[in-house]
Amino acid sequence: MFRRQMMAIMIASLTLFPLTSYADARVTAASALVDKMISDLETFLATDTGEESFRTAEIDRVLNTYFDMESITRFSAGQYWRAANGEQKTEYGSLFREVLCGTIVRNFDQLQGLAYTADAATAKGDKFVIVSGTFTDTTGQRPAVKVNWRVLTREGTAPKVFDIEIENLSLLITQKQENVAVIRKNKGEFVALINAMKDRLENPLHNDS
Amino acid sequence: MMTGKLHMMMFDRLASLNACRIAGKSVTPIVLGAALALSACSSVPVEERSDVRDRYEGANRKVFAFNMGVDSYVLEPVAGAYRDTVPDGAQTAVNNHLRWASLPSTTVNSTLQGKFENAALATLHFLVNGLTLGFADLAADEEEQISKEDFGQTLASWNVPEGSYHMVPVLGPRTTRSLGGTVVDFALNPLSVFGTGDVVQTVNAAQAPVGAVSFRAQNFDAINDVKYNSLDPYARTRSVYYQSRQGLLEDRVARGTASAVSEDEFDSLFEEEIN
Repeated sequence: MFRRQMMAIMIASLTLFPLTSYADARVTAASALVDKMISDLETFLATDTGEESFRTAEIDRVLNTYFDMESITRFSAGQYWRAANGEQKTEYGSLFREVLCGTIVRNFDQLQGLAYTADAATAKGDKFVIVSGTFTDTTGQRPAVKVNWRVLTREGTAPKVFDIEIENLSLLITQKQENVAVIRKNKGEFVALINAMKDRLENPLHNDS
Repeated sequence: MMTGKLHMMMFDRLASLNACRIAGKSVTPIVLGAALALSACSSVPVEERSDVRDRYEGANRKVFAFNMGVDSYVLEPVAGAYRDTVPDGAQTAVNNHLRWASLPSTTVNSTLQGKFENAALATLHFLVNGLTLGFADLAADEEEQISKEDFGQTLASWNVPEGSYHMVPVLGPRTTRSLGGTVVDFALNPLSVFGTGDVVQTVNAAQAPVGAVSFRAQNFDAINDVKYNSLDPYARTRSVYYQSRQGLLEDRVARGTASAVSEDEFDSLFEEEIN
């Protein structure tokens, strides 16, 4: 009886061990990705000239290297992605990237003077790992900000960042809900989102105060 | 990054305006009455809403436009001047006082929700910092973070339904439940219990508008980015409100160690891949 129980425990352990170690490997890989990206950004900030074209090119490189832009683009259009035709998908993808780059470049100066500390990383289901960290202002003028990097970890492919949650607010969900609202307001027409993005890029409502 | 930070609290802090007074009378009942009257008049069919939770979207968008006008003509210029002219130390003191004034509400609501440790911490901070009317944070070295609790959160813990989404004039976004909570929280302002016609009453009357200006100044660039560069600032504000509220209800904002987003939100990504 005792031997049978011991056998059962050993079999269960051997079966579960690979699952645990796979989850650990995903967490390690996701943490390493975020660490590498932060280090890359710190180098970028240290060498920043303030020139907009330089910043845009660098942001574009960072997005390509560390973010799963294809999945992000698809997700940001919500259920309406399926309704879009190939041409619309291509156009939306390019506009989405342009808007994203523009937003980061516009707010780039706010990244200066921040120091990042890694906190913890946890697997979420079998596809995501949440890597947590904190940005603190080295001048002490701004409060510390908690950040979660949602990293997509698929078997057989390199991990990539899928979403950023700041103080537990998802930037991607916010963007998706805004995009979906624009489409729904226009009777489900995907082209309305494309037109709104084009309009905003061509006529930015900058405030100079 | 700071954009997200602002998102979390954007317009929610305008709640502090609920203590605005005209000729010694609180304008809160007027604002709330106007909001409910507007909401009651026009329910939008589900298929015409940009978000199914937004039953009164037509009226809400009109109120949002009004609030944006108030921001453009009053809050934004005043906050800009406040940020540029008031010394950092004075701005910190104002922020400390506003946080202190919300502590009694946190104490009561934490107790009602059974969060006794948080209630005790809030009471301790309130008493210690009360020596300076909250302008100096004498307990700043304490490591424990106080989780802000309001009556809307208490109602949620009692399983009161969330109700509809409302854009309230001046106050900003609320669900029916959180709007009810706002009224109760207003009554818990510690300075409300003092007499009238003295310095304390003046501080009390100034608290709300100063709070709104202070918050706007702290998040000046980030709020402007949402206001001027979003495709649909109304929809973005609504999304941010629901997410931040959900985080507060589940105590995730203060803790900040877990993801605030439900995993179900991402199911569509993988459904798309399967199909």
